[in-house]
Order: sequence, then structure tokens, then C-alpha cells
Amino acid sequence: MIRLDGVTALYRDRTALRDVTLHIAPGERVAVVGPNGAGKSTLLRVVAGLLRPTVGIVELDGHPIDRLERLAVARRLSVVPQLPTLPFATTVEEVVALGRLPHEHPIRGMRPGDRAAVAAAIERVGVGHLLGRDARELSLGERQLVLLAMAVAQDARALILDEPTVHLDLRHQVEVMELVGDLNVRDGTTILAVLHDLGLAAHFFPRLIVLDHGRVVADGPPSDVLAPDLIRDVFGVDPAFVRVAR
Amino acid sequence: MPAAVGALAPRRSSGFRTAFARRPIVVGALGLALLVFITILGIAAGTVVIAPGDTVAILAHRLLGLDVAQSWTSAAETIVVDLRLPRVLTAAVVGAGLAVAGAAFQGLLRNPLADPYVLGTASGAALGAAIAVIIPVRALFLQFGLLHALAFLGALSAVFVVYRLSRLGSRAPMTSLLLTGYAVSSLLAAGLAMAMYLSGAGLRQIFAYLLGGFEASSWGRVAVAAPLIVLASAVIFLRARSLNGMLLGEEAAAHLGVDVRRERAVLLAVASLATAAAVAVSGLIGFVGLVAPHVVRLIVGPNARLVLPLAALLGASLMVGADLVARLLGEIPVGVVTAVVGAPFFLALLRRAQTGYEL
Amino acid sequence: MIQFAIPRALRPSFAAAHASRRTARSAAVRGGRPTIGLLVATLVLAACAGAPATPIPTTAPTATAQVTAPPATSTPAPAFPVTITDDEGTIVTIPRRPISVVSLTPAATETLFAIGAASQVTGKVEDITPYPPEADGLPIVATYKGTEIEKIVALNADLVIAGGLGFTPPSAVAQLRSLGIPVIVLYAASVNEALAGIEAIGTATGNADAAVALSRAVRGEMDRLAGLTAGLAKPRTFYEIDATSDIYTVPAGSLYEELLTMAGADPITTDVSYQISLETLITLDPEVILLGDGGYTTMADVRARPNWSGIRAVMEGKIYPVNDTLITRPGPRLADGLRALISVLHPEVRL
Repeated sequence: MIRLDGVTALYRDRTALRDVTLHIAPGERVAVVGPNGAGKSTLLRVVAGLLRPTVGIVELDGHPIDRLERLAVARRLSVVPQLPTLPFATTVEEVVALGRLPHEHPIRGMRPGDRAAVAAAIERVGVGHLLGRDARELSLGERQLVLLAMAVAQDARALILDEPTVHLDLRHQVEVMELVGDLNVRDGTTILAVLHDLGLAAHFFPRLIVLDHGRVVADGPPSDVLAPDLIRDVFGVDPAFVRVAR
Repeated sequence: MPAAVGALAPRRSSGFRTAFARRPIVVGALGLALLVFITILGIAAGTVVIAPGDTVAILAHRLLGLDVAQSWTSAAETIVVDLRLPRVLTAAVVGAGLAVAGAAFQGLLRNPLADPYVLGTASGAALGAAIAVIIPVRALFLQFGLLHALAFLGALSAVFVVYRLSRLGSRAPMTSLLLTGYAVSSLLAAGLAMAMYLSGAGLRQIFAYLLGGFEASSWGRVAVAAPLIVLASAVIFLRARSLNGMLLGEEAAAHLGVDVRRERAVLLAVASLATAAAVAVSGLIGFVGLVAPHVVRLIVGPNARLVLPLAALLGASLMVGADLVARLLGEIPVGVVTAVVGAPFFLALLRRAQTGYEL
Repeated sequence: MIQFAIPRALRPSFAAAHASRRTARSAAVRGGRPTIGLLVATLVLAACAGAPATPIPTTAPTATAQVTAPPATSTPAPAFPVTITDDEGTIVTIPRRPISVVSLTPAATETLFAIGAASQVTGKVEDITPYPPEADGLPIVATYKGTEIEKIVALNADLVIAGGLGFTPPSAVAQLRSLGIPVIVLYAASVNEALAGIEAIGTATGNADAAVALSRAVRGEMDRLAGLTAGLAKPRTFYEIDATSDIYTVPAGSLYEELLTMAGADPITTDVSYQISLETLITLDPEVILLGDGGYTTMADVRARPNWSGIRAVMEGKIYPVNDTLITRPGPRLADGLRALISVLHPEVRL
């Protein structure tokens, strides 16, 4: 599904990724962890085709991603964006409907199938109670859920999430993680998520990739990856602070 | 207008809006009816009184080819067919073009205070027109003078320069565009001041251009300006998807399948083309391009597929109406009318903007 | 966007004949928000519209009787169509003797009435110092706000005489022509051009003989008057167009300058901006100040101006209001204007 080979990439003239090679198979569920500035967000931008690596190859479904039209990428890969600003009053359902942009008719817009997908995404993410409200007036957590619903409505085979839980309370964190798991298990959606919370990552993801200084320093099941030495070296904290279920 | 301003108040907008958002056809039909009504008023009214019956008969005779017994003078026919009809059509086309361009600029720059003139078109056109007034050439081509040509070129060149300058080592292209636009506009305004200073007897003419108006409309000019504006608007309509994607920002737009760099360049180019064509035929008329898209968004939401065509209808109606008012008040500049109507709206918008609107 | 400040004298200058050149003013322009700019413009325009037309006192008795055209002797039907090259170089063909002439300059109105074309005139421009009285009843089809094309069409105009240099908006001229109405555009930067304009109006309206006679009569009278001042001392003269904020005076190569010179003055002139700095004015130290803006400026006003007290004309009290209309209107009353100037500059001359 997603393949990076020897990727080096710059972020603001600074090398943020160095010689990264990884492969994510269809249907996998992968979390990327690492300290601030490790290159996690740059990795997501490279995978999504927004940032061109200076060296190396990025492939999506076997196609070099920079050869694909943006529309083709968007149909294969949906991304939950960071909380953006909205210039105009926009209702929750209008935001979710934006997820259908890659699929809707270029001139006529949304067709019945698109509306059904929007309704299904709203239902599945559980933001039905927010319908009709201006998205600019929601709490941070609510907005995060709305954007997740938008990405779900996009109905792509791979879903990329960048810190999807930062603004959520504990219950919603767990609910979002369960939803992501459900999308992965029931629908076969490939998941690639950047997470800060090692506990959450270890609990809900069968495979972790640890980035440090732009390099992949560990890749595998949580129990293998989150060794005390690595936690001390990479995150600079006492491993006792991180309780990983083994 | 006060009703619309009231509807800007937070929260109240949503319910009011969703009632309409599901019925875009109804809103469109109402908009069209409004335009037709105002257009008929615009043709019927003027400094010379022509009986409504005669007006209708003349139109039926000349436009529909109906065999109507001629009860009117040839002067009345000239006034209706060669003066008022092209005038109303020009106003409608210019109003629609500015509204569509305004909606495009607002969406593209993600800034509710943007208008079609924000990237230098206005000052570029004004400087072009002022230079044309100073140059003593009076030739006309297709009923266009040097003034129109230089205003058109000035508008387009200004945007082009702004676009190129903004791309020099910038990481936030939209902010950079806005700031560059402001800087270039200020510089051009200085040039305009100088040109006005040097213009001697031409000052009046420059001034009339700056305030805008439709009294000099003719079929020849409509025939040149309308296709440009219609074509540019059509290209923008076809890019509604890109504008929708940009609601959430450029990065999100890219994730949603929008080729941001290409779409930005195309939208900037065609929106500027529509604006340049509009300011070349009618001078600088403010507020319609700012206000029409906002009013439409209040009614049907931010979906560009609805906003663009409805803003075109509303912009056309507003402009024909403003021109009618300007005419009935004795040919005051139409820009003054749109300002009087638009300024309160603009202020309301500013107040709302201060309260912040991040998602 | 753009902000404007409209110079105060923009509006009175319109109605005064051909004084559109007086509109040459600077306007403060700077970048800003459209709201403010347009509001300012609105206010200023509104203020201008409300300003009353100030009558300009006439210092010299205007002896119009001295210059009148011989009565139009049964004008033989001239060879229409006639073709005229107007002052903008446009070649205008007038197919028939016009029976509905619209005059868009006060000078043309005066000329039309002076050459016996009164019965052909059907509309005129607004004139704050209207002349002749016989033209009072004519419908007004143009004001400082613009030209009302619809009204001109409704009059079935078959000839329009417009003002050049933007006095009649060029867009209005183009529009009238596009409707098939012949328009001749006239302006005059000299006495000869003014007289040529009179003759052009005569040719265009089928009153050529009367127009030529009038132009010759005016020329003759002006030459006679100029002859009276030929040998006299020429006082350095500052002709004030307006000094409410900046100071405006006559440009070199203008009709103003020519008339002042003929009247036996040595006029202080400036460039096409019409502006002159106070420093320059003080340096040139005029011996006489003529108040073309005498309608709203008095000698006391001039004396009260800071830094003007050292100017010779101010010290000697040689400050005189003059009838601006007579001097700037390139029509049949030019000789009256010249006579008025001489009577102020050289009161000793017997006219």
C-alpha cells in the first residue's frame, strides 16, 4: 500500500527525515511515535505526497506518488487534517461533506451516494448531535471529531491521522481509537497514525514505528519496540512513566 | 440590507440558513426573479419619461420581433434599445462578474474581507486609466478608448506583479499574496496621485473613472466585455470543487484532491480577468464584489457550487439596482450608491471578524 | 484601495465656460480602505452639489453692443452635407442643416445665439453665469455631474457641440457618435482658436456668413483694443484663479495669457498644473493682482493672508476683482473681456 525507500526530506531547509525505508501493507494498522521534532509530521506529509523527498522513492499502491494526480491520491488516501481555521460560517455537515470532494461529480456536486456516505460517517463518528452548528463555535475536541468524520466520509483505503486525540477527553480518546480499530478491522482500511501517547499507541496498534532525529530507530510490535532502553534513549524519560501492557 | 446584517449574528444564522440550504433551486429562482424585476425597472426608468406600455412594446418589437403597432417615437426607441438596454446589461454583467470574482478571491485567500480589488486590480486599473487620460490620444477601437485598454492592462499587470512578487521565498502563499497586494497597491496609488497631479483638465475624467458608472455603456462595449466576464465566471464555476477544498486551508485542500498550486494560479488569473474586464468598462465600483458573496453564504452556506451562481445573480441585481438609484438621483456615481449600501455591511463584517473565526 | 480629496474649485469651474482647465488640481491620494475613500468622496461631492453659484461682479461695463454680428442676411442655403474637422481632429459630417442643435459649452451657447442660430438650438449645458438671457428657457441637458444622453436623444438632436479637454466627458462624446449624432468638439487655447470655433459653429449650423462676420468683428475690436495698450508699461500681473488652499494661476500658452498680454500686462504664468508656489510668487513680486476668483475673494482677504503682505501689489493696494467668465469663455464676448481687463490694468486708456 505505502512504501518508502531511502527517503530523505527537508522541513524548512532542515533535514527532517534521513534515509527512511518502510513498508505498510494493505490492512495494516501502524502508529508512528517519537519525541517532538523527530520528523513524524514530515513523514506524514511525505506519505501524503505534499512534500517531495530530496532523495528516495514514495509509492502508493505501487505508483510513485508524485506521478499521481492529487485527485487519485485523495481517493486512495484520506488525511485527518490539523485543526484549520474556517473563513466563513460552515455547518458541521458542510465540513463533513467536504470529504466527498474527491468523489463527487465535478459539476453537479454530491450525488445520492455521496450524501449517504456523509450520513454514514456522521453516524459512525458520532457527531450527529452537532449537526446544524457552526463548526467555528465547537470545542476543540468536537472539531477534531468533525474532521475525523470528514476523513471517514472520504472513504479511502488508507487513513492518515496526525495526533487525532490531543484535544479529546479520555472517553473520546478511547472511542476514537476504537473507531480507528473498527475501520481497520471491519473495513480493512489501512491506518497510519502519529501519536504522542505511547500507552494509547501500544494498546491499540499492533505495529509501532519509532522515529528519532529523522531516522527509524525501531519498527515492530509494541512489546518489542518499547524496550526500557529505547524509551530512555529516545524519549529521555524514566521507563517507569510509560506503562505498556505486555 | 439591515435584515442581512442582523443575520450575521452568531448562531442565529444556522437555522435560518439550513431552511434554505436544502432548497437551492428555490433560492436560485428567487434570485432570478429579482434580477428580472430589477432589470425591467432599470429599462423603464430614466431621465426621460417613456410610458411603460411603450417600453414593453419597443422591447417586444425589437427583441422578440413581434409585429407591434408603432405608437412611440424613434427617439424613445433609441433611448430604450441603444441606451438603457446596453446600460442595464453592462451593469448586470459587471455586477455578476465582480460578485463571482469576489467570491473566488475570498475563498482563495480564505479571507472574508477580500474583494475583487484586493490584489491590486483597482489601483492598477486606476493608474492605467489616469495615464491614458494624460496621453493625448483620442482614438477609439470597438468603442473602447485608450482609457479602457490601459485600465484593463493595468489591472492584469498589477495582479501579475503581485503574484510573482509573492512567490519569492514565501512559505505562506496566501498571506504573502495579501501583503504583497497591499504593498503594490500602495505604490500604484502613489503613481495615481502623481498622474492626477499631472492630469490638468483630465482630472475630472480620472475622477469619474475612479467612482465608476454605466452611463457610457453601449452595445459595442457589452459585446466585448460580456464574453470575457462570462467566460471567466464559467471557468470559476467549474472550479467550485477547488474553492470548497480551500475552505479548510491549502494543506487540507491538497488532501482532498485539489492541486493547490495549479488551482490557485488558474483561479487568480480568471478572477483577475473578470475583474479587469469589469473595471475597464465601468470603472471602480466597490462593495458589490465584497457583499454579494457574503449575503449568499448567509443564506445557503459556504458551498461554492451554490455560492458562485447565486452570487452572480445577486451581484447583477445589486448593480442594476444601484445604477437605477444612481440614475434616479441624477446620475450620481454608482460607486457612491454601492458604498452607501455596502459600507454598513462591511463594518458589520469587520466587527464579526474581530471576534475571531478559527475552526 | 484609493482615497480622494476633491479640490474645492472642481465644481464651480465646470459651469464657467471652458474653464475646465481650472480643474487642474492635485488630489491627495493614498492607499486605504475603500469605505473611507468613498465616503469622503460622497461627502465632498454632496458639499459641492450644494454650493450656491456665486455671482461674479463685473467691474467694467460690458458694452456688448459694440460687437455684434451684422444681422444674418438671408443665409443662402449652404452646401450641406458639410464636413468639419473639429479641434480634436475628428472629421465630422453633418448631412443636413441641423434643426435641433444641443450646446454643451456656455461659449457655444453664446455663439449660437450671436450668429442667429437661436431657433435651431434645443438644449444647452447648465451655466452658472447664463448668457444670453434669450437662452434661459432652453432645457438643460448637461450639468457638472455629467451629460444626459437620454435627454439629448429625446430632443432628436442632429448636432451636438461639445467642449474639449474633458469638459464634456469623452465617453459622452463617443456614445453620442455611436448613436449616429454628429458631435463637434471645440476648445480654444488662443484667441485665434476661439474665433475659428465660432466659424466652425457657423459652418456646422448653416450660418457660416454670420459667423465669419462675427469672428471678424471680434478680431477687429480686439486688435483695436490691443493697439491701445501697445506702447504702455506692462505691469507684472498675477491672475488669481483660486488660492483657497494651494495657489492657482494661468498657464503659459493659454487663452488667459494671451488676453492678459493683449490687455497690456506682463502675466505671471505657470505650467499645466496651474499651480504656483507662494515662494515663486513672492520672488516674482507682482505689481497687480487680478482676482479671477473675485466672486468669493476680496482685497481684504488677500491682505489678510499670511506672508502676502510683502508683495508689491498688496502693499500698493493694486488688487482688483475681474469677471472671470468674460475672460475665459472663448465666445463672442472675448472683446468685452479684453476691454474689462484693460479698464482695470490701464484705467487711463480711453476705450
